[in-house]
Amino acid sequence: MAKTYDYLFKLLLIGDSGVGKTCILFRFSEDAFNTTFISTIGIDFKIRTIELDGKKIKLQIWDTAGQERFRTITTAYYRGAMGIMLVYDITQEKSFENIKNWIRNIEENASADVEKMLLGNKCELNDKRQVSRERGEQLAVEYGIKFMETSAKASINVEEAFLTLASDIKAKMEKRLEANNPPKGGHQLKFAETRKTETWLSKCNLL
Amino acid sequence: MSDDLPDKFDLIVIGTGFPESCIAAAASRIGKTVLHIDPHEYYGGVWASFNLESFCALLEYGNGSDIKNTKQKWYINEQLNPEMGAEVGNSNSDSETHAMAEDTVVRKPIDQQWSREKLLQQSRRFNLDLSPKILYSAGPLVQLLVSSNICRYAEFRAVDRVCTKFQNQIINVPCSRSDVFNTKDLNIVEKRLLMKFLSQCLAFGEDKTEEDTLLYRGKTFREYLQEQKVTEKIRTCVMQAIAMSTDETPFEVGIGRTQQFLGSLGRYGNTPFLFPMYGCGEIPQCFCRLCAVFGGIYCLKRNIDDIIVEADTNIANVVLEGKTIKAQHVVSAPCHIPTVLLERNVGIYGQGELVNSLSRGIFLSAEPLGSEELNSGGGGVNLLRLLADTREAILIQLSHFSGTCPKGIYLFHLTTAAQTDQPEQDLAPFVAQIFNTETDDALKLLYSAYFTIMGRKSTSSTPRVDVSTPIFCTSAPSYELDYDNAIINAREIFTKLYADAEFLPRAPDPEEIVIEGEDPRALSENSLPDDLREQLRELEKSAEHMDIEDTEGTSVIEINQVESESQQMDAE
Repeated sequence: MAKTYDYLFKLLLIGDSGVGKTCILFRFSEDAFNTTFISTIGIDFKIRTIELDGKKIKLQIWDTAGQERFRTITTAYYRGAMGIMLVYDITQEKSFENIKNWIRNIEENASADVEKMLLGNKCELNDKRQVSRERGEQLAVEYGIKFMETSAKASINVEEAFLTLASDIKAKMEKRLEANNPPKGGHQLKFAETRKTETWLSKCNLL
Repeated sequence: MSDDLPDKFDLIVIGTGFPESCIAAAASRIGKTVLHIDPHEYYGGVWASFNLESFCALLEYGNGSDIKNTKQKWYINEQLNPEMGAEVGNSNSDSETHAMAEDTVVRKPIDQQWSREKLLQQSRRFNLDLSPKILYSAGPLVQLLVSSNICRYAEFRAVDRVCTKFQNQIINVPCSRSDVFNTKDLNIVEKRLLMKFLSQCLAFGEDKTEEDTLLYRGKTFREYLQEQKVTEKIRTCVMQAIAMSTDETPFEVGIGRTQQFLGSLGRYGNTPFLFPMYGCGEIPQCFCRLCAVFGGIYCLKRNIDDIIVEADTNIANVVLEGKTIKAQHVVSAPCHIPTVLLERNVGIYGQGELVNSLSRGIFLSAEPLGSEELNSGGGGVNLLRLLADTREAILIQLSHFSGTCPKGIYLFHLTTAAQTDQPEQDLAPFVAQIFNTETDDALKLLYSAYFTIMGRKSTSSTPRVDVSTPIFCTSAPSYELDYDNAIINAREIFTKLYADAEFLPRAPDPEEIVIEGEDPRALSENSLPDDLREQLRELEKSAEHMDIEDTEGTSVIEINQVESESQQMDAE
């Protein structure tokens, strides 16, 4: 079977219940928005292939499966994740405050160099806004990550957010590949070693 | 904090260990409402893995009902020793039998390379298993993971080498055909004998009327081997590592295990075994994820006060931190059944008296076990089955490639069936075989830990089980390489709960809607008229069925996929 992509990125969505993670996922993967459909069917992950600088990138985006509700996200969820979308709801102050806790959770469980991005969702509900755009920006600066306000419902910035995260991961990865490639030896061996472990999963080999 | 939880479930599962998670996932998968609780703040219970810091803390305070008799010891200083020739050891290390020889000279003393502080700084790189397992590539867990599609949540590493002890030397057991040809441990005659023998084993049972098979009925596997005129070395390899047998193992069992070994070869690597990346603690979490995807609700760090069974309806009222939640059935890990319930002498399916189940040892070293040949490429995941008199133990060596320890550190898991409540004493004959050789190259330990994993065993004083009891108790890990018994246990309880339902049918893949450039907004389900939408649903449904029929080919397809991927990666 021919491979239809150059890279595979595993991305995660993280944030409080009800901030619209699954809606963002649906908007991006299917360009659809339907809350009733979403709440009845458990979403595992969604896949969409994008193209960046002539490279086909398969994005595998994982949803929390409701395990964020009582903060019971498994450590296994974070394994191999290359990018994380931290999502809060601009109409829910609490969800913004909890971003700090989620970042702590990520630091404890995800790989240290995982690419992160902060999203303030539901930006179409400006009249119910509790978290100003500036506060979102400031928090992102504090953690040295990128920030966008999105609306899954009105289809604002969702596409842009994922493309930004993906291109940041791609840049980081290519830089590391360049750094690793010239001296043949130890590292090459490592590639061969990890490949062995990948036998029945279609995971990215370039970790 | 039992806020906004529904007050009624089909099933409440207490404990997130392997069998509990398996049952929770299976019930959720067939549409049952599941509440999955764990009194601990981590997943996995006695099947969990821990980072080094949490593991040390667990052993220090953790004499709970699931692990007992804990003991740990450091063989290195708190901080790096800056001076050459400074004394080895610290205040905590007494002179026990397996302590390192203090006068051995090495290139750079171990206490200048590693300190407690340095190891704890890398705490997160450790995934120390309470119940480590090795999976047969064609064994029951791998089959279950593939058939249920839960395999997409985990990664595995092929075990690098299967070893055995022969004349006080650790040797590599050749697994594949090419291994047999390449090994230096066997001479040419032995190679031919081994190949002939293994081919013969594979052929066994193909023809039930075969005279050979009948000839050995009722004999031991050892007797059979003796009559095959193989050399002692081959007999050791086959008995200890391939057939996993002892002198008493019956012929049929030995040949069965040999076939299982051979049947698992050539699938995912050089040996027939797999080890889960980041430790076995990942496995129950994968089942929990599936349960959650199908709607199961998860609460950790919640205590069960009591379970009251309504006499007329047989419904269980689970008291969860003051709030009562009704459930048709309750499944609990052996250690989480509320004491008040036990005191009332309620019949619980699978319940028994608390007994010692496994004696466990965990060791850290800066060097791998055995010769360099056994650890080429920085050392890998090696398996060594040890025998001492009539008892046996399993040793698993893990390097950083397994995601369970930092680079430069080797992690050893030693497991045997518990004899006493002193795990160190139970394991002493095996420890002596591997860490306490009289030679100069004796392995230097950095850290060791011992503990007992508790289980339940039904005795005469166990209350009689009412057939209609809605409360079920799972089994603790037993002494076995793979998850055979644990899966049997989960399946058995599941069948008691839902007699006619399928156990973990294949979970569908998320429909892979790949929108490539051209026209991403073309097809949105909601923009379709109702009749077309209905058709689309039907199409999706039939597509799902196609997937299910195709299951047998799945793993092969996956492998092909990966192979082509890696080739392209190489090209880059």
